[in-house]
Amino acid sequence: MSSTIAESSNGAESAVLDLHKKFIETNQPSPDFLALNRKALGQFAKLKFPHRKHEMYTFVNTKGLASAPFSLKKESSIQREFVEQHVYAGCERSHLTLVDGVLRPELSDATALGTAVMVGSLAEAIKDKSVKSLLQESIESENDVFASINSAFMTQGIMIRVGRDNQIEAPLQILNVSTGGESGPVMTVPRVYVHLEPLSELKLIVKYVGEGDNYFVNSVQDMVVEENATLTHIQVQADSIDAWHFSKNRVRLKRDSRYLGYQATNGARLVRHHNEGWLSEPGAELVLNGVSVLVDDEQSHQFIRVHHEVENCTSHQCFKNIINHRARASFDGTVVVNKGAQLTSSDQLINNLMLSDEGHADCKPNLMIFADDVKCAHGATVGQLDEGQLFYLRTRGLSEDVAKEILTQSFARSIIQEIPFAPVVEELNQTLLKKLEAN
Amino acid sequence: MLEIKDLHAGFEGTEILKGISLSINKGETHAIMGPNGSGKSTLAKILSGHPSYEVFSGEVIYEGKNLLDLSAEDRSLAGVFMGFQYPVEIPGVNNAEFLRMAYNARLVNEGKDELDPLDFDDILQEKMDLLGMENKYKERNCNDGFSGGEKKKNEILQMAILKPALSVLDETDSGLDIDALRVVANGVNKLNNENNALILITHYQRLLDYIKPDFVHVLSHGKIIKSGGKELAHELEAQGYDWLTTTN
Ligand SMILES: Nc1ncnc2c1ncn2[C@@H]1O[C@H](COP(=O)(O)OP(=O)(O)OP(=O)(O)O)[C@@H](O)[C@H]1O
Ligand SMILES: [Mg+2]
Repeated sequence: MSSTIAESSNGAESAVLDLHKKFIETNQPSPDFLALNRKALGQFAKLKFPHRKHEMYTFVNTKGLASAPFSLKKESSIQREFVEQHVYAGCERSHLTLVDGVLRPELSDATALGTAVMVGSLAEAIKDKSVKSLLQESIESENDVFASINSAFMTQGIMIRVGRDNQIEAPLQILNVSTGGESGPVMTVPRVYVHLEPLSELKLIVKYVGEGDNYFVNSVQDMVVEENATLTHIQVQADSIDAWHFSKNRVRLKRDSRYLGYQATNGARLVRHHNEGWLSEPGAELVLNGVSVLVDDEQSHQFIRVHHEVENCTSHQCFKNIINHRARASFDGTVVVNKGAQLTSSDQLINNLMLSDEGHADCKPNLMIFADDVKCAHGATVGQLDEGQLFYLRTRGLSEDVAKEILTQSFARSIIQEIPFAPVVEELNQTLLKKLEAN
Repeated sequence: MLEIKDLHAGFEGTEILKGISLSINKGETHAIMGPNGSGKSTLAKILSGHPSYEVFSGEVIYEGKNLLDLSAEDRSLAGVFMGFQYPVEIPGVNNAEFLRMAYNARLVNEGKDELDPLDFDDILQEKMDLLGMENKYKERNCNDGFSGGEKKKNEILQMAILKPALSVLDETDSGLDIDALRVVANGVNKLNNENNALILITHYQRLLDYIKPDFVHVLSHGKIIKSGGKELAHELEAQGYDWLTTTN
């Protein structure tokens, strides 16, 4: 365990700069990659950690996170059985295991994918000019300070590329295992780049689990979906309860392409999803659904920007949070409809179900429309269980606790059932819905 | 079986029921009629234990027990069934699964083992056949998107499954077309026997042609202003409530 830092007198930012120096010394990235790391660090220094009123962190307190004396994990060992436990049925021969952000070939098996899918390291992939320029561009235009930290510290990364007109049968799972820090908090930076060539299809399931505590998993995914391709992207956040989990998704959608995103959040000390999508050619469709069940002091925050850049695109968002005890959830989502993006169809719905008085939900759904012929709707609710429904169930002999359990579970189930991958649905019925059982 | 004694009750401090007394024996069917807003549904909700309604004074004795002391679920388990005038929709809860949970709650209360979905399906299918109900009632979510008449049928299906000792049916006939009314009424008649009792709240003589009441009561402004045999319903149908309320 090298390169431990303490918060220096110059503040949390300089601690990151110090950590970065040690990172460069120990890792010795290739010149091309080093240039990207450095560029990202420059962006980090510009962005700085969010202050209290930062517009992207209105509802998220990152003070504890920014000031935690993170180190970088060097060696991690993990049991094969642990991995097997978390590989979904159907992904036995199509999973990539990342331990503390680093791909572990001996714990991965991609044989079912065949030659139609290219899986490699980003460090290799940037030899391709277009990959490099896209990465470069996203680093330069990075608006999220934590994502810039990911770019500054990324080492190998994973590149997944599906060739033209290949519809991949086998669902591909990425399993992110965090082993945590024994002597202090550690940060890991999983980095994935997914590129779907025209007419291709891929179902990608990304699961995050912890095998230890005291970690910050700070992941970034760049996704490009070309003409008429479909990417289904299912994320299951199931980290250790004292973890920090930040995840940024950037999706670029070309003509008639589809992105179908599903996010299930089990909760942790602090979870933040940052989703940004660009519908940049006509006919593109983006779907983003999420469900979270939060108890005790767990927190989960959604930050979403969807950009309708051209005409005839569609986006749907539906998020449901169940909040118990002192848990917190927030939703900050904006749909931007550019001038000229006529015939845009967009909706956004957020429902929060509060099971306690101490829980907290913030909602900021927002539409910015610069075109005139569009169909946009948004709505947000924060509410308790419906008294009429509760009473109805009780008049059928079901106890108040059971009636509450039935109603809260059905609230979450409406999103869970939509997830187009049965093993995740079954798992969430066990994990998320279990959190709602009357005891 | 049920003894209501000088019941004063209402909602948020407002008295709606102003002294109701009613005695119901096993094997009897009582119809309660009366103008809109007279308190019929309020009485039904009080009997079923709705938490928003208050009892100011009076007593309700059911099978020797103080019914008002029991929670809504305990009343159900004790054999009281409420067929709602406006059944609520419960999206996300499969109807067959809901019915099975209700049935199992009863079994557990009686110290018996729960039924699994397959075994329960036999019971469910039998009752659905009795009421001429299609398969969609199993497949859909509870009352979710059901038409008014479908919801009422679903109430009677629940009654058939739970086999209550005392049923209170609040305007079950409203919203049913003439064929559905006949089927539902036949179903209710088949469930009726000398050991259970029925309170039918209705506006229409039509229902009482199918389910013959032993007594008819007229509720107005929170009071029973007249009780009689089934011929009273015919008089009401012919003359409206005015002849009663104006002389009162
Ligand atoms: N939840 C409530 N909130 C406010 N007022 C109520 C409530 N429930 C009943 N009331 C009032 O109590 C009175 C009696 O209502 P109730 O529903 O019992 O009438 P009803 O006899 O069932 O009428 P209908 O024939 O229209 O069904 C009405 O004036 C009604 O407005
Ligand atoms: Mg009524």
